[in-house]
Amino acid sequence: MLAIFQFPFVQRALIAGMFLALLLAVLGVFVVLRRMSFLADGIAHASLAGVAFGLLVGIYPLAAALLVGVLFAVVIFILERKTSLSLDSIINLIFTTGLALGVVLLSFKSTYQPDLISFLFGNILAISADELKFMLVLGVGIGLFLILNYKSLVILVVNKEKAYLHGLRVNWLQLAFYVLTAVITILGIKILGVILVGALLVIPVSIAKLLARSFKGLVFISIIMSEIVFVLGISLSILLDLPTGAVIVLVGILVFILTAITSGQKQ
Amino acid sequence: MEVKVKNLTVKFDSRVILNNLNFVVQPGEIAAIIGPNGSGKTTLFRAILGLINYQGEININSRSVKDHLNQIGYVPQYFDFDRTIPITVKEFLNFFIRTKEEHKNLKNLFDNWGLTKFKNSLIGRLSGGQLQKVLIVSSLIKQPKLLLLDEAAAGIDIEASQDFYELIKKLNQQGVTVMMISHELNLVYRFADKIICLNRDLICLGTPKEVITDNTLRRLYGEEVGPRKHRHH
Repeated sequence: MLAIFQFPFVQRALIAGMFLALLLAVLGVFVVLRRMSFLADGIAHASLAGVAFGLLVGIYPLAAALLVGVLFAVVIFILERKTSLSLDSIINLIFTTGLALGVVLLSFKSTYQPDLISFLFGNILAISADELKFMLVLGVGIGLFLILNYKSLVILVVNKEKAYLHGLRVNWLQLAFYVLTAVITILGIKILGVILVGALLVIPVSIAKLLARSFKGLVFISIIMSEIVFVLGISLSILLDLPTGAVIVLVGILVFILTAITSGQKQ
Repeated sequence: MEVKVKNLTVKFDSRVILNNLNFVVQPGEIAAIIGPNGSGKTTLFRAILGLINYQGEININSRSVKDHLNQIGYVPQYFDFDRTIPITVKEFLNFFIRTKEEHKNLKNLFDNWGLTKFKNSLIGRLSGGQLQKVLIVSSLIKQPKLLLLDEAAAGIDIEASQDFYELIKKLNQQGVTVMMISHELNLVYRFADKIICLNRDLICLGTPKEVITDNTLRRLYGEEVGPRKHRHH
């Protein structure tokens, strides 16, 4: 079993996955507490338009998905401010537009597309050295933003008006938050695929919320749980020869159920 | 800080919430805003803070409120937040600290407001009065020059409420201008320098002695209430 971890492609998968699990866990805290997990899901699905466009014109699909994801995040932010539509309706509009556009674009390419399958279900074991570098650079940028704006984001999560009265530039912070959620969600697609990426954003913090007795504890437990779920999930998927993304999600759900039962018993 | 309100009108759709208000709160004053429920008191605060759109002019020390946000403390009547967020009182208040001086100030505030024993409690599990104290402290950390209190003593027991106004008076003596919305007419009578009576329009403006009379209160509330006759429910 351990011998398989000597293969470079498995090592790359582990580095990329553990790094993304860390970022998804921290950002997930803010996404879940702001009740915006649907934003991540919506952008993930809508980015099919980017993947399809990339495949059609020969651009690296993940980069095209990133561009489209960021664009959709900005559009969601603008529509939320300029219209009276609720956020979930706006996300639904973007979600369906992106998916529909993706399906239409893909209809122009009739041959089998392995990139599309990996987009839908994830394929972390196929991650290349260049993709790893790309993720690490973007991830470090996101990590720095989260560290520098940690206090501001917490105040924003607790109460938007309080954030404004604290002198924070709420709109910019909110826009940056939407864009980062889009970027990290689309990076996460490489591990879990579009169908499952929201899970790694939500499950660790959901487990942490059952256990944490402070905000620091919430972030810490969320990171630990994210890493445990990822490492356990990828190991089991290799051992049992099962799809990686799906196994990671199932492991996460199992840990959540066990935590809910045991923490419920304590209360 | 001086608060100057000129021709202030607030409308939600076509409904007029505040109609052409004009008044000035001088630096160092305690101004109480009184009026029945739905008279636009909270809306007035939200307009002063720049949280809603309005017609007319509102200036703080002759400038926009946005230039003074760091010097304004606000305690809302309702604090809308997710009570399931696991965040302790100490963590919550620490997030508002920007300088060493504010850190020192917070230590004193913990003692003055009796929060030390709750510092490791989750804010979502505090009682209404305890949460109110946390919110007051959070708005005092930055040592504001203008304090807006929207029924800030609501939920705090009567004895603590008396202490609350004493502490506000002490802050005022240190130069903080205070605007407060309150239904406690006895306390308002005792502590305020100026009363602003509101019922969509500005009904009256003056010192407590001038304003809190059976006649004006009848005009304002449409029933016989006054400092001697006001009862708590």
